[in-house]
Amino acid sequence: MKMKKIKFLILSCFVFLFFSCNNDDYQEIPTDYPFDLVIPSNFPDVLQDIDNNYPTENGVALGRKLFYDARLSRDNTISCAFCHEQQNAFTHHGHDFSHGIDNLIGTRNTPAVQNMIFQSEYFYDGASNSIQMLSIVPIHNPVEMDENLSNIIAKLKQDSQYVRMFKGAFENEEITSANLLNALAQFMTVMISADSKYDKYARNETGGNLTSQELQGLALFQIHCASCHSTDIFTDNSFRNNGLPINPNLNDLGRETVTGFPEDRYKFKVPSLRNVELTAPYMHDGRFGSLESVLNFYSNGVQNTQNLDPLMQQHGTLGIPLTQEEKEAIISFLKTLTDEKFINNPLFYHQT
Amino acid sequence: MKSIIKNIITATAFFGLLTSCSSDDNSGGNVDGTFGEAELYFDNGVNGDALVLGSSYANSNGETLTINRFNYIISNIVLIKADGSEFVYPKEKSYFIVSEESNINTLHLENIPSGDYTKVKFGIGVDNQRYLEGETAQQEFWNYASQHHLTWTWSTGYRFINFEGTFTSSNNSEPKNFQIHQGSNTATDNYREVTLDLPTTARVRQDEKPSIHIITDANKIADGVNKIVLFDNLNPAGTNASIMGGENLIKIAENTLQMFVVDHVHNGSGNHHD
Repeated sequence: MKMKKIKFLILSCFVFLFFSCNNDDYQEIPTDYPFDLVIPSNFPDVLQDIDNNYPTENGVALGRKLFYDARLSRDNTISCAFCHEQQNAFTHHGHDFSHGIDNLIGTRNTPAVQNMIFQSEYFYDGASNSIQMLSIVPIHNPVEMDENLSNIIAKLKQDSQYVRMFKGAFENEEITSANLLNALAQFMTVMISADSKYDKYARNETGGNLTSQELQGLALFQIHCASCHSTDIFTDNSFRNNGLPINPNLNDLGRETVTGFPEDRYKFKVPSLRNVELTAPYMHDGRFGSLESVLNFYSNGVQNTQNLDPLMQQHGTLGIPLTQEEKEAIISFLKTLTDEKFINNPLFYHQT
Repeated sequence: MKSIIKNIITATAFFGLLTSCSSDDNSGGNVDGTFGEAELYFDNGVNGDALVLGSSYANSNGETLTINRFNYIISNIVLIKADGSEFVYPKEKSYFIVSEESNINTLHLENIPSGDYTKVKFGIGVDNQRYLEGETAQQEFWNYASQHHLTWTWSTGYRFINFEGTFTSSNNSEPKNFQIHQGSNTATDNYREVTLDLPTTARVRQDEKPSIHIITDANKIADGVNKIVLFDNLNPAGTNASIMGGENLIKIAENTLQMFVVDHVHNGSGNHHD
């Protein structure tokens, strides 16, 4: 951080010296400052090393531009935002499987992009554990963006706006694959959703009064759901088999795909439930269209497949017994996790 | 023969002189405060034979492997003196690729304190710490590794070793493909380091560049202290043995500890292997 600040000072002097006799190229690069990153008081520990790529104003702006840029895909048609739409907490609403390049369809439901630095692993199978490296996966996936870093760098170098923005955001001022991944990581670092009604309740702020049904839902949630959906980001970052019937057409092995261990078969990452009202469809393969269907599954639909989580077998019957009234209360609580400020935050808008 | 012995005696005496008169007055451990270069030459072989891509090699598992690719990552190099003192090569420069298909066998090291080194230590693959520091810390290494088929893209890790080809056995006379992609994943850290004794001291001087000639035995990957039978790892369709995760990678990591041996060291000036 210090280095950066010193660099800005030097740069500023330089600009001042050359201002009168040079062209105005320097003028167009806004001075960079560390981003004012606020860690919500009710949140768990940051699990990513953000200090080696601490977000700056210019870095975040660059990351945002890249997030919305279809040049990150082979034929310049698919941006990150194509599947990660802000209005749905950066998921792909209305699609069980994500559409990608050439209208190819993947085998998994788009995960939300939010509160990323509080997570230790990414993707349903934990294919990445680094916020700086994770973008490699969708960029290279043949049914998502089907591109590689070298090609993207070559494309971006043609664009004078990117030349300027990379210059303004990074010490070495260059358009490189490292800076590309880091800018995206900085943008994802600041995508924090922490202003739902529930957050206000948790932090004793105004606007945080839960109704009696929501409170009942919270109490039930803490009994029946919070051992996996723990902390105020609502995941314990673990991989579990929750007992979904195996889709024979996909036979998605889940975590085993990454680890190669049979004991990881059919385990998927416990997702955060933040903004869950907006992120339908649900489950790794997007099979459920509503929260009602999700809770009906937990009460009646759990199957004893290989590696079923012990927590799904502790009531003498499979799953979690819930009455209709209890399900409704839990859903009313889950809806207090909706963060209007996050999904409407101009910081995350596409800006041209 | 006599002259060789004479040379050795002379050289040993010379080393003795050098070390005895330089050990007290050099705080940095340099012979004379200068720096020199060195190289590690990786000579790929298979159980005593030279590795030639496209050739077939029988192993003790009863399988015959035709090797079509053998690339790997060498990292975190440390040169060690007889007294145990270490020169750790700067981490940001200490990631290298050896590629049989691209004819990359030599790792050049520079700015090494002059001295007599008796061991070399290095890592096979990329350590987790460096990996988690991201692409900037990796100095674009990911890009370079990806050109040499040493990255995964469906997850975000490095392949430490990419060993591919076809195999036959008593169970299959028709060749079937195999791919062994050794690496870490988010559940298992398979990065390992080896320390190798040098049969001859490597003399680093301002005007002398030792070349440490290492023989890499690709056979050890599947046929080391742990035996990995490719036929037993065929996919359900029976077409392909793909080893990229699970217990096999842990076994291979153990096997690779015995994969490298320093055969000899060239001392003196000039390039020895280019």
